[in-house]
Amino acid sequence: MKRLAIAVCAAALLAGCGPQTPTASTQTEQTPATPERPAANPLKNAYFGDLHLHTRNSFDAYIFNVRASPEEAYAYAKGGTIKHAAGFDMKLNSGPLDFLAVTDHSEYLGVLPAINTPGDPYASVPYAKDLFSTDPKQVNAAFRKFGDALRTGARMPEFADLRTVKSAWHDTIDAAKRNYEPGKFTTLVGYEFTSAPDGRNLHRNVIFSGDTAPELPFTALESQNPEDLWKWMDQQRANGFEALSISHNGNGSDGTMYERTMWNGKPVDRQWAELRARNEPLTEITQVKGTSETHPLLSPNDEFAGFEIMEWYIGSTTPITKFDGGYVRKAMKDGLEIEAKVGVNPYKYGLIGSSDTHNAAGSYEEDNYHSKVGISDATPERRGSAPPEGKTWANYKPADNTARFATWGASGLTGVWAPENTREEIYAALKRKETYATTGPRMKVRFFAGYGIGPQQLTSDEGVKNAYAKGVSMGGDLIGKADGKPDFLVVAMRDARSAPLQRVQIIKGWLDKNGKAQEKIFDVACSDGGKVNTKTNRCPDNGATVDVKTCAYSQDKGDAEISASWSDPEFDPKLNAFYYARVLENPTCRWSTWDAIRLGIEPNPDLQKTIQERAYTSPIWLIPTKG
Amino acid sequence: MASGVMGFLRRAVREPLVHFLAIGGALFVINSLIHGPDQGPESTAIVISEGRVNQIAESFVLLSGRVPTKEELQVLVDDFVSEEVGYREAVAQGLDADDTIVRRRMRQKLEFLIEDSAANEEPMQAEMLAWLDGHSADYRLPERRALRQVLLSTDKRGASAANDALAALASLRAGADPAKQGDASMLPPALPLTTQEGVAGEFGVDFATAAFAHAGDDWFGPVASPFGQHLVSVVSVEPGRAVTLSEVVDRVRTDIIEERRNDARDAFHARMRKRYTIHIQWPDPWKGLPDTPDPNPKTKPIPEVGE
Repeated sequence: MKRLAIAVCAAALLAGCGPQTPTASTQTEQTPATPERPAANPLKNAYFGDLHLHTRNSFDAYIFNVRASPEEAYAYAKGGTIKHAAGFDMKLNSGPLDFLAVTDHSEYLGVLPAINTPGDPYASVPYAKDLFSTDPKQVNAAFRKFGDALRTGARMPEFADLRTVKSAWHDTIDAAKRNYEPGKFTTLVGYEFTSAPDGRNLHRNVIFSGDTAPELPFTALESQNPEDLWKWMDQQRANGFEALSISHNGNGSDGTMYERTMWNGKPVDRQWAELRARNEPLTEITQVKGTSETHPLLSPNDEFAGFEIMEWYIGSTTPITKFDGGYVRKAMKDGLEIEAKVGVNPYKYGLIGSSDTHNAAGSYEEDNYHSKVGISDATPERRGSAPPEGKTWANYKPADNTARFATWGASGLTGVWAPENTREEIYAALKRKETYATTGPRMKVRFFAGYGIGPQQLTSDEGVKNAYAKGVSMGGDLIGKADGKPDFLVVAMRDARSAPLQRVQIIKGWLDKNGKAQEKIFDVACSDGGKVNTKTNRCPDNGATVDVKTCAYSQDKGDAEISASWSDPEFDPKLNAFYYARVLENPTCRWSTWDAIRLGIEPNPDLQKTIQERAYTSPIWLIPTKG
Repeated sequence: MASGVMGFLRRAVREPLVHFLAIGGALFVINSLIHGPDQGPESTAIVISEGRVNQIAESFVLLSGRVPTKEELQVLVDDFVSEEVGYREAVAQGLDADDTIVRRRMRQKLEFLIEDSAANEEPMQAEMLAWLDGHSADYRLPERRALRQVLLSTDKRGASAANDALAALASLRAGADPAKQGDASMLPPALPLTTQEGVAGEFGVDFATAAFAHAGDDWFGPVASPFGQHLVSVVSVEPGRAVTLSEVVDRVRTDIIEERRNDARDAFHARMRKRYTIHIQWPDPWKGLPDTPDPNPKTKPIPEVGE
């Protein structure tokens, strides 16, 4: 009898030890049983999502004590509550996102969880114990070990066996498959290519069009040279795996992200420009680690350029010394110059925003901010919005990392215009660059250019239909005509949960008669009935204020919706040019001010107390007709 | 290699001595492992069965995609022998007793056994229906409403938006075309069936609350939002409703099995605890907490870190 019982138990044991089916977090918001898929809208809807997010499968996130899985990242994006590495709950105040890509670092993907799994062969690396600490100092030391290894691009020999990476990659793909709800929530398969030669950031996110992907990602351990990544993407495309790459944090590249030379140091040639443009249609202009639009030194006439500027190498306190080559607006100008020389523009970028959170949960809201590197910046003290316990701001001298974290921002999101929320349509919108970036709020922005499409408004279906029929939307090419000027139509609507809008600007870049790229900013619509000064091209101040004691802002200033029909007063049909729209909110409290208010202390005097949230559309390029 | 295995084998059969030495002191144990005598009783045999060899060969195929060579297989089997011997020795020395990982793993195995016996049976239709009945709130679909709205924009009308809204309301109630009332905006004039949360995402919380509180299909308002004053009519209401089993059968099935597992595990622990007297000596900051734990524990499987 006893023998029988043992046999039964053994049989059951085998079943119990089989592969465990992953179960969704119990805190996941439940999917309605009968989701009714809304009809596609040919005039397109705005969808908001994040294309840059890390989970415990990223080596650094795991070191930061993050244990949330891709499954939990999706749960959070769908409006659920998940735990921060420091133990508190995280939930989006503004409701679920429409799409998400989990983009863990492909280098050492899933390796850290393996090191921390008893019995796993990786658990025996000699420094295993040092890696998993709750002391931020030790965490930083451990992080440096991997960070330094990535700077060299050589694979750490103890992790040469790629079985772990393969299995974590399959988990990433499976999580995307499981969480896709066509019509309601789109998941995208992706990863981050983490190349940083000598610490200069050349990171890219690679996003696949489908729910299948190559057996292994192409990582910076195969090659730090992004040209090799794009060649691999070409090959994969031939094998049926369509993907695009998105460069990010040019601001941390020390001038190397958007260079005028190739990897071998020679000037960009046509083949290189085509390779890059074919594979990298998008660039990330805003995220937690600052803005990559432009730097005040590159755009001295842009009084809104000093927004969430980050001047450090990524993951280090080495200061950036070269801004040229690290910012998107300058790259788009350089792209025009390169095109004039080699015939192809390598920097014809659509714009997106994302978080780059390493908490598996984006922190897009200033008043709901948990930054992005797990326990390292989990408290106001560690991210520089509160002085150390028992101290005041007098003689405040932040630890190195805290000084870095203090300059980060609660950003960003990608807006796409697509007929419906499916993987096919979201991916297609990314590919055709019908995208815009926001620094967190979910403003809706439409932007069109075309001959004879104005002054119709974009607030009616007929207006939008007309604009699509006769013009091009953000991300498109407008073929110039010898006579006449194109109209630019733009409309922006505030996020109901954020502040009213202050102004809409159109930023123009063009190649002047001497072949030199120039830029100019035109305010095209002002709030509160203001009129643009035709000499300065600026709106009058609308007088909106913020009470930094409470973060209350003017309720009677700014507009809920703002629109313009504009034509370029300096238009020259013979010159190559690009135009993109920038929408500015009224000022609101920065996250660091919210932190201080919650603690009942003065905000850090070295930090800006308020910011102006914004949206950036992909440009429209004017292609002059020859002759 | 063969002599190494033999060495291990010979050492493996010295259980009583090792036991004694373990009690005597860890240093002594280690010393004896390295330098200890090689002879001992021959009663402890290790047989690597055909089935085991096949299994070892199969796992090689799974990992490498090919059949192992003769040499490879020999090395693998040899390694398994070392594993077996090492395991027996370690257990004999009591190395499993104070090892957190081993203890956790043993508990986990035991709990898997208990849980799996409970989860083995597929839930019957009747059980699923009863479950759904008892947990209807968890599965309920939220109310959805289809709306039409006319905006009187504060941007365009300032303070008069509210008065203008009243005038527009009168027109709408008299049958005017809503497309010709109010101000065009990016906001949709008509919303398909949407949850209150969805409406709040686009129009703000106050608007959503008002739209879901209203009864009747008449135009009503004005309802304030960050965009201005709205006139609203509820086109259709899909009441929140309990679901039928067929709509959620997969979820119900999983949830029942999950609960059965939990119940079986808790019952097992409660039963086992009766065999022991438990006394907890709380250290300082926690002194005064009850010194015996709950006799009916709600046990949670401990998540394996890094899983």
